[in-house]
Amino acid sequence: MPRIGVFVCQCGNNIASTVDTAKVAEEMKDMPGVVYTADYKFMCSSPGQESLKETVKEHKLDGIVVAACSPHMHEKTFRKACEKAGLNPYKCEIANIREQCSWVHHDETKKTGTIKSIDLTRMTLERLKRNKDLTKISIPITKRALVIGGGVAGIQAALDIADGGRDVILVEKEPSLGGNMAKLSETFPTMDCSQCIMTPKMVEVELHDRITLYTYSEVEKVDGYIGNFTVTIRKKARFVDEDLCTGCGDCWNKCPFKIDSEFEHGLTKRKVIYTPFPQAVPNIPVIDKENCPKIQKDKCGACALVCGPECIDFTQEDKIVTEDVGAIVIATGFDLMKNSKFAEYGYGKYKDVINGLQFERLASASGPTAGEIQRPSDGKVPQSIVFIQCVGSRNEEKGVSYCSKICCMYTAKHTMLYKHKVHDGQSYVFYMDIRAGGKRYEEFTRKAIEEDGAMYLRGRVSRVYEKNGKLVVQGADTLSGSQVVIEADMVVLATALVSRDNAADLAQKLGVGYDKHKFFSEYHPKLKPVETVTGGIYLAGTCVGPMDIPESVSMGSAAASKVQALFSADMLDREPITAEVAEATCNACWDCVTACPYTAIDRTEIKNRKGEVVSMVARVNKGLCTGCGTCVAACRSKTIDLAGYTDEQVYAALNAF
Amino acid sequence: MEEQLRKEARRLLTEGEVAVVIGYGWNSRKTRVTPVFITNPDDADKLVFNALCVNNLSIYLTRKYKDIKALGKPAIVAKGCDIKNIVICVSEGQVARDNVYIIGMSCTGVVYKQELWQGELTDNIMPTKCHNCEVRNPHVTDIVIGDKVDFTPPEEPTGMVFDKIREFDRKTPKERWDFWIDHFNRCIKCYACRQACSLCYCERCITDKNQPQWIETSAHERGNLAWNLIRAQHLTGRCTECGECERACPANIPLNLVNSKQALIVKESFGYKSGFDMEEHPPMIVYKPEDKDDFIK
Repeated sequence: MPRIGVFVCQCGNNIASTVDTAKVAEEMKDMPGVVYTADYKFMCSSPGQESLKETVKEHKLDGIVVAACSPHMHEKTFRKACEKAGLNPYKCEIANIREQCSWVHHDETKKTGTIKSIDLTRMTLERLKRNKDLTKISIPITKRALVIGGGVAGIQAALDIADGGRDVILVEKEPSLGGNMAKLSETFPTMDCSQCIMTPKMVEVELHDRITLYTYSEVEKVDGYIGNFTVTIRKKARFVDEDLCTGCGDCWNKCPFKIDSEFEHGLTKRKVIYTPFPQAVPNIPVIDKENCPKIQKDKCGACALVCGPECIDFTQEDKIVTEDVGAIVIATGFDLMKNSKFAEYGYGKYKDVINGLQFERLASASGPTAGEIQRPSDGKVPQSIVFIQCVGSRNEEKGVSYCSKICCMYTAKHTMLYKHKVHDGQSYVFYMDIRAGGKRYEEFTRKAIEEDGAMYLRGRVSRVYEKNGKLVVQGADTLSGSQVVIEADMVVLATALVSRDNAADLAQKLGVGYDKHKFFSEYHPKLKPVETVTGGIYLAGTCVGPMDIPESVSMGSAAASKVQALFSADMLDREPITAEVAEATCNACWDCVTACPYTAIDRTEIKNRKGEVVSMVARVNKGLCTGCGTCVAACRSKTIDLAGYTDEQVYAALNAF
Repeated sequence: MEEQLRKEARRLLTEGEVAVVIGYGWNSRKTRVTPVFITNPDDADKLVFNALCVNNLSIYLTRKYKDIKALGKPAIVAKGCDIKNIVICVSEGQVARDNVYIIGMSCTGVVYKQELWQGELTDNIMPTKCHNCEVRNPHVTDIVIGDKVDFTPPEEPTGMVFDKIREFDRKTPKERWDFWIDHFNRCIKCYACRQACSLCYCERCITDKNQPQWIETSAHERGNLAWNLIRAQHLTGRCTECGECERACPANIPLNLVNSKQALIVKESFGYKSGFDMEEHPPMIVYKPEDKDDFIK
């Protein structure tokens, strides 16, 4: 006969207000196998745990049920307490009578809550009786990290991990590191030049002994699990030998073909063989395959003729590289929403209606106008500019429901940059609210208004159209209650930040969650903001949602510290909740092999004494198995069972209901 | 056609390419055809092929028939529809493709039940699968016997089963439930449906697992429902609609109805038709990033 103890927790009033915990304990007393019951105010408190330990020893318990909160909260706590009392930790089971019971039943007579708690506890008790002693599985950790994305968040994460003495693989899909931050002119609220603070970090990455940099590359596939991932990376063909190239620039100077520059958001042209911007890291060009006449139809080849070290190879193909890593940091950044949705603002129709990133390029010393604010249409210096905020943000019908968070600040910065460069220019800002929460942010926007004379108009713009070479902006000023018509030389749209196009694809490759806007989901928005639900995969920067540079950098460092913590141990303890195949009834249909997301199931030969193969069966690699149970559901003959959640346990629990 | 078949069987056995030819032969009174297993080349003349050959012989390739497996490499006389089952068995690792010799038979249709045979094959005695057959010229074979058949299946599936499905789609869930409960109540748990199916090849069926006993074995309402649902679910995305289960059912439960409806849903959801691709595992077990997730609310 088992000797089981049942501990019912009141959780202050969390459980006790709708569940009669004493009654639950009383009911359990008569259940076969139960030798001890108690109800207590806070089982998770130190005295609660102490009493649990003492009771286990005193009553020689061989299993305990704690009827309390969700196992997500304190299963670990109570299992640890059991272990200290000399009981196998897997002989401790939690009946969740809080989240799934007391919190959802508001019956103050406590009737419903109590009946349900008794049912839940009795089911757990029957389950527990069939629990077996289990021991933790120890697995080695590959102490190398993968960082996906070479913007500021990814760079910060990579540098912090590498400075901590661990190898890092940094994958960037563009030809150069830098991400969106490299495009910015100056940064709020300190107005330091973005490239001046960014490029040293980029170079540091390039020169770091512990960082392997794959630019112009994408993650194709991820296998494995925490501590033991295998990552397949596609190195897109650059058509330039990276080892030989000196970055002299003869090739792109010679190249006769020009197309719109992605980095400059179409404000200027780039060559077909190019680096995105002069400070690119690595300073090695790529050939844009789609637009190169040599590759497409074997005409030209001028770049190869002038290349001194002869490093251009038109036959180069994509390379597939695999790397073993123990942890992954996702830092894939953001895109701007397509402005084509907002036809009323005339983006795409009028050359002088531009987005915020284009304005950054115009204001940037390394940009197409060398930092002089000029209209894209005719190169004239605009005497007045209208900035329109919340283009797509906070607009559920046409755009996104969320606030893009950084636009209020960068628009204020734009008005300042404009004033500093065009002293007699006038800027107007149409806004909904000024959101300037952050250290020195409020002061910054006040300065734009008070010192640099930006005219802030609270209201929306209904239409932008062209008249006599001017852009006429029609809008409302809701504070004065009047309609406003402004004739401007240029209009800048503060377009919403959105997730990357392929964010959902990547999330599925990695097995992490994402929200309806395709931003990656944190494990817990407050308490685990850099973790994902998948162990060993962490998040940094704007792939989680709109945020500014300081936040992205902090998150990069936070993710790095999580990786460091993971790498600080040599072995990783894993839960022994793993699948087992009953080989006698295995049909070798390999449904489990196909279904397993962790490639944890192997095809195994069964041999007779003579060494002849008599049959094939599936066998689970315990080191790889995460106990997800997919194979159990897939197996038609019920040949696979999950330790800790066996068929018998589940069946017993159901029968006890 | 039969002569060509016998000649091929004789050659295979004489040359030792296969150990047994699984095919159709007459019963003693020559009124019905029955499965025959030819191991001696001299017996090859016993093989026949005609409109009575409705049985799906592919079950004899599965692990259910260890005695036949023990004979050695088999050759099998198979219509296109039977070959679909062999394809699934190959994709699920039950049969190695190079370990079976498929004698594909060009087919102009068979009778739904041999009892219906009056000497002539008419549309009304053909099963629904023949009306919509895409594989009258067998698709995966080592040799094809018979002339090329010219037949294009209709775009919208026709036949009794599909008429019934369309009628069913208009019914309320309550009416459908009552219909099935009524039919399943007649089930006597003989498991003929399972025995006739070459995709029900499990060494130990889930219904035979007794620790714990998930499915009640008595012919009681609860167990009947559980069994029939499990049978259908285990065949989702795999069933080739060969119809052997329904043909075998002594209680006349319209199993083709549930099988074909499921096949329609799978085709719509995953663009998958079972029985054509030996490399691909049936969709219910495979995860693809492009799988629909519009049912998750």
